[in-house]
Amino acid sequence: MRRGISKVVAVVAALVIIVAIVGIAYVYQARKAPAEKEVIVIGTTDRVTDLDPASAYDFFTWEVLSNIAEGFFKYEPMTLELKPALAESYEVQEGGKVWVLKLRKGLKFRDGTELTAEVVKWSIERVARIEGDPAWFVLDFVDKVEVVDKYTVKIVLQQPVAFFKAVLAVPTYFPISPKSYPADEISPDNTAGGIGPYYIERFVRDVELVLKANPNYYGEKPRTKTIIIKFYKDATALRLALEGGEIDVAWRTLNPSDIKDLAKNPDFTVVEGQGAYIRYIVLNGNIEPFNNKLVRQALAAALDRKKITEGVFLGTVSPLYSLVPAGMWSHIDAFKEKYGEGPNYELAKKLLAQAGYSETNKLKVELWYTPAHYGTTEADVAAAIKESWEKTGMIEVEIKSAEWSTYLELTRKKGLPITLYGWYPDYIDPDNFLYPFLHTDSNRWLGKPYSDPEMDKLLEEAQVAPDKATRTRLYEQVQRKLAEDAPIIPFLQGKLYVVCKKNVKGIVIDPYMLLRYWLIYKE
Amino acid sequence: MVSLRVYILTRVLLTIPMVFILLSLVFFVMRILPGDPVIAIVGMKASPEHIERLRHELGLDKPLWRQYIDYIAMIMRGDLGRSMIWGKRPVSTEIWDRFPATLELTICAFTVSVLIGLVTGVFASTKPGTKADVGLRLFSIVAYSLFIPLLGMLLQFTLGVKLKLLPVAGRKSPLVQIDRITGLYLLDSLLTLNLVGFVDALRYLLLPSITLGVVLSGVYTRLVRSSMLEVLREDFIRALRARGIPEGQILLRHALKNAFIPVLTMMGLQFSLLLAGAILTETTFSWPGMGTFLLERIEYRDYTTVQGTIVFYALLVAMVSLIVDIIYAYIDPRIRY
Repeated sequence: MRRGISKVVAVVAALVIIVAIVGIAYVYQARKAPAEKEVIVIGTTDRVTDLDPASAYDFFTWEVLSNIAEGFFKYEPMTLELKPALAESYEVQEGGKVWVLKLRKGLKFRDGTELTAEVVKWSIERVARIEGDPAWFVLDFVDKVEVVDKYTVKIVLQQPVAFFKAVLAVPTYFPISPKSYPADEISPDNTAGGIGPYYIERFVRDVELVLKANPNYYGEKPRTKTIIIKFYKDATALRLALEGGEIDVAWRTLNPSDIKDLAKNPDFTVVEGQGAYIRYIVLNGNIEPFNNKLVRQALAAALDRKKITEGVFLGTVSPLYSLVPAGMWSHIDAFKEKYGEGPNYELAKKLLAQAGYSETNKLKVELWYTPAHYGTTEADVAAAIKESWEKTGMIEVEIKSAEWSTYLELTRKKGLPITLYGWYPDYIDPDNFLYPFLHTDSNRWLGKPYSDPEMDKLLEEAQVAPDKATRTRLYEQVQRKLAEDAPIIPFLQGKLYVVCKKNVKGIVIDPYMLLRYWLIYKE
Repeated sequence: MVSLRVYILTRVLLTIPMVFILLSLVFFVMRILPGDPVIAIVGMKASPEHIERLRHELGLDKPLWRQYIDYIAMIMRGDLGRSMIWGKRPVSTEIWDRFPATLELTICAFTVSVLIGLVTGVFASTKPGTKADVGLRLFSIVAYSLFIPLLGMLLQFTLGVKLKLLPVAGRKSPLVQIDRITGLYLLDSLLTLNLVGFVDALRYLLLPSITLGVVLSGVYTRLVRSSMLEVLREDFIRALRARGIPEGQILLRHALKNAFIPVLTMMGLQFSLLLAGAILTETTFSWPGMGTFLLERIEYRDYTTVQGTIVFYALLVAMVSLIVDIIYAYIDPRIRY
């Protein structure tokens, strides 16, 4: 019995000692974690694709690149003004054909390489050589890049481009170090970055991305030392993570109903900003009856935008009456001018009657959408459009859907009659909201739904016009002609939402759309 | 023992045509499906010239039979190829990045389901026909018919959001670092003596494991119960009782061991199912594993990744079922191969 007891005592004592040691070690290790105020955790349902400026061509990877690297110019928060960044100054020569950039001196990459004109030339030529998805930013505009002296670089364009400054601000043009990136191939997991307010400390694909403040950054110092991005699979998990206290900031993309719910919760702040993201309906002019302008106009007149913005998106987006988003220079509410706020059923009926349709001889159309790519609300968007068109009593809509890759293929190869698409700008300029859709040589990706020589001429003129006033006038003409011809009907402009804990400040959402992590801090 | 060796060899050899047939099926089904991978990759803004160039780079402009032969030749060399999207990383790297997450979740969920199944099954078999038995049988049906995301969200909301006891999504806390050795966070944190990492990884594992484990435990409850009831009716059990051997010992040492064969078969099948079927759990808990990965790549028509992943899974399932068969032989000496 005594032996039995002593054995039990020994086991218990050993267990107590082990638990004590483990406990002490745990507490010791746990205390080494950084102070909570120095870290901000941002949750997103987006993903990082290729951490390489020569290949990245998606919203979120561009956002990350904009925080770990910089271009020659960058957007001043809350304005659309480009201020000098890596370029100290610049000069435009030969009527916009030659751009001479003077670099800041003494800037270094993380690997110690200095930023020089040679590095800039290498970086831009690398993009052209690799020919990744965003290579057209270089290939479509640049003829050659020349080194003038150690800190001066000359970019000669194929032809003058009025908005080239905005193109130069895209991440594809961010200089990177030749020591850290291979010259001829994409480096998808490269964490070297460029010269920016943060650098990447750790990246685990689809799990987390840890950014640390760059101590050698020349500009405004980041307000938070560590930014951690956590990746979630869907909006519900993102919301629960915010409510569960695992993240400080919930960024793209929460469901509209989640945003509404969280706005009522006193623990969180909802920051709202106008985005430059737009949605639109494409009417394929190659397919009957959409080659008839009256039909297109009737559909534009009968569209009830509020049914979509309020009914489907609960007011988290705004109705849009032009392809150029509201808030951008040259924007006019062209469709509102032409058809009223809508739905204008009387006008739609009149136009349909002129086109030979009636309540007994209805216009029959197929409306296509893709179920997941634009979020879970897409089926409801299609249903809202159908309902508003059918309210005329003269239109019968059949809704069809195809998943993303099939949808794209059908649009390009076969040509679908009516499709729903969305657009994030590549560069912030009205050109990027009009030329790719309406110019004959540029809208092949939409199945070439529209071609008009007069429209082409206006767009080409606007691309090279030297002053903003002339460009504004031309773009207004383009928008009015768009409303008149109605090959594409814009219907909403996205707002961007960030939901964060009450003590998180400094979140800026503007039409640039990418979050600037260096401005965010905790009180 | 010789016969077992021959059996193993035969099984291994049979795996080759199985993988080959499966691979050929996936190869052609992926290509029959509508949707162009190149357009899906580059999105809507790319020019037709860019699309054509990419198609050429990826070898998709070759005739189908040529693509098939090239691919089979590549697989024979032990190369799974490169992904067709985002930087074209090797498929083996993609699998190596994500498979440990699925494996860790699978092992934990599997443990939870077997434990619940064994405890409830054995308990129910000792009290057949009682209220407890009926209750447990009801539990097994309800558990099996539960929808994973629903149970997951219920647990996330109660234990994560309301009580703030457990984290709701992901694999580890953002502030905790676990150095990767095997990719299994529990094991890696133990190997590096990272206690904070271990506790953290365990906390993150609990909700998804319980969710998946509970749903799958229903099968075991019923199976263990019926199997145990059958064994408990046999003569040798009566003989053991007559000898005055304690009931607990009879149940665990004698009855359960004999009742285990059908359970083991089910375990083998379930393990394979678990690997593939964790998709819903992985989505609900933002678990960065193979399920969500495969789903995403099917959507993008990333042919090589989907094919490579299927080959990997096929080999894995073949291996698991072979191991289960070998274990039979050891548990039950009557089984001869």
